[in-house]
Amino acid sequence: MSESLPLLCETAEKLFRDLAERQAPFAAAWAEIEAAGFPLLLTPEVEGGFGGDWQDAFAVLRIAGAHALAAPLAEAIAAAHVSRRAGWAPRDGLTVIATSSAAAFVGDRFTGTVAAPWGRAATYVIARVSDRVVRLAVADAAITESANTAGDPRDALRFDGAAAEDAADDDIALWGALARTAQIAGALDAALSLSITYANERVQFGKPIGKFQAVQQSLAEFAEEAAAVNCAGRAAACAADCGDASMEIAAAKLRAGQAAAIGARVAHQVHGAIGFTHEHELHRYTTRLTSWRSEYGNERSWSAYLGAWAVQQGADGLWPAIVARADVQNGS
Amino acid sequence: MTPHIVVAGRLALRDARSVETFSIRPFRPPGDVAQLRRDVRAFLREHQPVGGAARRANCWAVGDSAFSRALGAAGYIGMIWPKAYGGHERHPLERYVVLEELLAAGAPVGMHWIADRQSGPLLLRYGTEAQRQTYLPAMARGELHACIGMSEPGAGSDLASVRTRGERTADGWRINGQKVWTTNAHNAHVMIALVRTSEGEKRQDGLTQFLIELDRPGVSVRPIVDLAGGHDFNEVFLDDVLIPDENRIGAEGAGWKQVTAELSLERSGPERYLSSYALLVELVRLAGGDADPTLKALIGRFTAELWCLRQMSLSTAAKLAAGEDPALEAAMVKDLGNSFEQEMPRVVQGALEHIDLAAPADLSRILSVLLLVAPSFSLRGGTREILRGIVARGLGLR
Repeated sequence: MSESLPLLCETAEKLFRDLAERQAPFAAAWAEIEAAGFPLLLTPEVEGGFGGDWQDAFAVLRIAGAHALAAPLAEAIAAAHVSRRAGWAPRDGLTVIATSSAAAFVGDRFTGTVAAPWGRAATYVIARVSDRVVRLAVADAAITESANTAGDPRDALRFDGAAAEDAADDDIALWGALARTAQIAGALDAALSLSITYANERVQFGKPIGKFQAVQQSLAEFAEEAAAVNCAGRAAACAADCGDASMEIAAAKLRAGQAAAIGARVAHQVHGAIGFTHEHELHRYTTRLTSWRSEYGNERSWSAYLGAWAVQQGADGLWPAIVARADVQNGS
Repeated sequence: MTPHIVVAGRLALRDARSVETFSIRPFRPPGDVAQLRRDVRAFLREHQPVGGAARRANCWAVGDSAFSRALGAAGYIGMIWPKAYGGHERHPLERYVVLEELLAAGAPVGMHWIADRQSGPLLLRYGTEAQRQTYLPAMARGELHACIGMSEPGAGSDLASVRTRGERTADGWRINGQKVWTTNAHNAHVMIALVRTSEGEKRQDGLTQFLIELDRPGVSVRPIVDLAGGHDFNEVFLDDVLIPDENRIGAEGAGWKQVTAELSLERSGPERYLSSYALLVELVRLAGGDADPTLKALIGRFTAELWCLRQMSLSTAAKLAAGEDPALEAAMVKDLGNSFEQEMPRVVQGALEHIDLAAPADLSRILSVLLLVAPSFSLRGGTREILRGIVARGLGLR
């Protein structure tokens, strides 16, 4: 965790809130985000970046989630991280990591389809193909534009015999999953905050609906889910700064996916019909929670991954493995 | 959908989005934690608990006097108490490490659990010097056991409505009333009872805690057999029980405050999410020779939840160790933890092929016990509804 984290968070809070209030168009918003240096959060200072770690990135992306930032910051931060691990030189323009790909090499040429958030705005996309990671120029792709449940760009990039830089395998979904967990943590906290405020203001049967035990119990459940994601996400980010964090990230994203579904359900139930309108801001969080739950691994994929890990540890080895990893990550 | 008057006239974005209800703290016990774990595991290998696999389920409700004495002799009870009272002056987070190792191994820690967790700490905080000298060393040796005299027939979740009365006598108190759901009273030597000593303005006023030795005249303990045929809890009748004033814990009328502090200790430990861990161990064992993807996915989900709950529990323990009251965090971890402990057996029963609950296999035995006792997880130590009420208050809804 960097010493300037409080300042970093303050800057992020101010910028992301401002962008949301102004409903700034994407190009302008992204220019401001880049100017502030956020996409280079994990890039070392000697290479012109901020020199932060995943705990810093978690804090910033959590704030991005809490303001429903409509920009590929998570994707760009993860892409810079993967590029560095791959030994690729930084490139100008936006690089994002793909959410999935169905592609193959034919010789040294790349053919297939890559799903890329904000693909239309990106210069490069990083994808995982069988046991390699590749960096591709978006200019080589035919783009089919689409959008997620929040209306954010989710484009399909079709490559046909494109040139590609490739590097040793890296599970890019892990880095995407960690970034999404941070966004989910923030969006859950924001939706929870809105729900509590609304429950305290909305009067029915002569009192605020938050005074009814049924509503209190639902909101308590919501708060517990949000707390679980924040706790799990921060622990996973801390693990990522210590070395192998595959188990922790898998667990955190799995947990975040469950919580995203529960949180969105309770937030809408508490808000009643007003929360179902376009005019009310609740949908900015809940539609993204819905989309983020699916991306970079949902509960099914991460539970299969974690299940294989747990079985590999064995019945008597599972507990020692879980606690030994945490002991190292806690610096004990 | 009914048309609504628009209350959000414009996009109203609010400041600082974080509702940080759960404070996240780093868990950093002093010393060589890996060595401490090795020591506890070595102790467990040397003192293999007796009895069948089912005793590994919900193991902190399973008592074994010999095991508790051995654990006490090894220095694992009263770990954080002063040496002057038989303790070992270890760090609270070292104690946490020992507890979670014992629970994960399914060790039968039920006999001394209450004394170590809350009765001892209560005496350290509010007891007299004589009380500490009398009770703590024997508790730390794992020889003297305590039970909690809180619940009554008319006072369950609504604890402030206790009616057991304490009346002043010439040199002490005369106690009359009844306690119920008193875990381990039939093995315990002493009860710490919450008693009404006056009618205060508020219901929480006028309550006082007393040490009541269970061999005093007028105390009778009657078993309550649970639905699984087990005998954990009891009714305790107090008929004209005479105790000296030296048995009073803390100030007269301070009982509510003391009990509230005690409940934070009661709710914040790793036992609130690990009661069903033995089942996960058996599931992994079963999957070892089997590539069933459904089973593996299930194990993955449970592992994620376990890991997440452990992170929350570690953070809560760190807050407690820092001398702060984690009442809200503890309520959250206990509620989520109890849901996990209950969900695991329920889901496993429906997910496994050909599961015969009557089979003599370890998995069947553990699953059967957990299916039977799981309803108690979200009742004991504060019901789900009470815990969520505490969380709701923390959110500013009450």
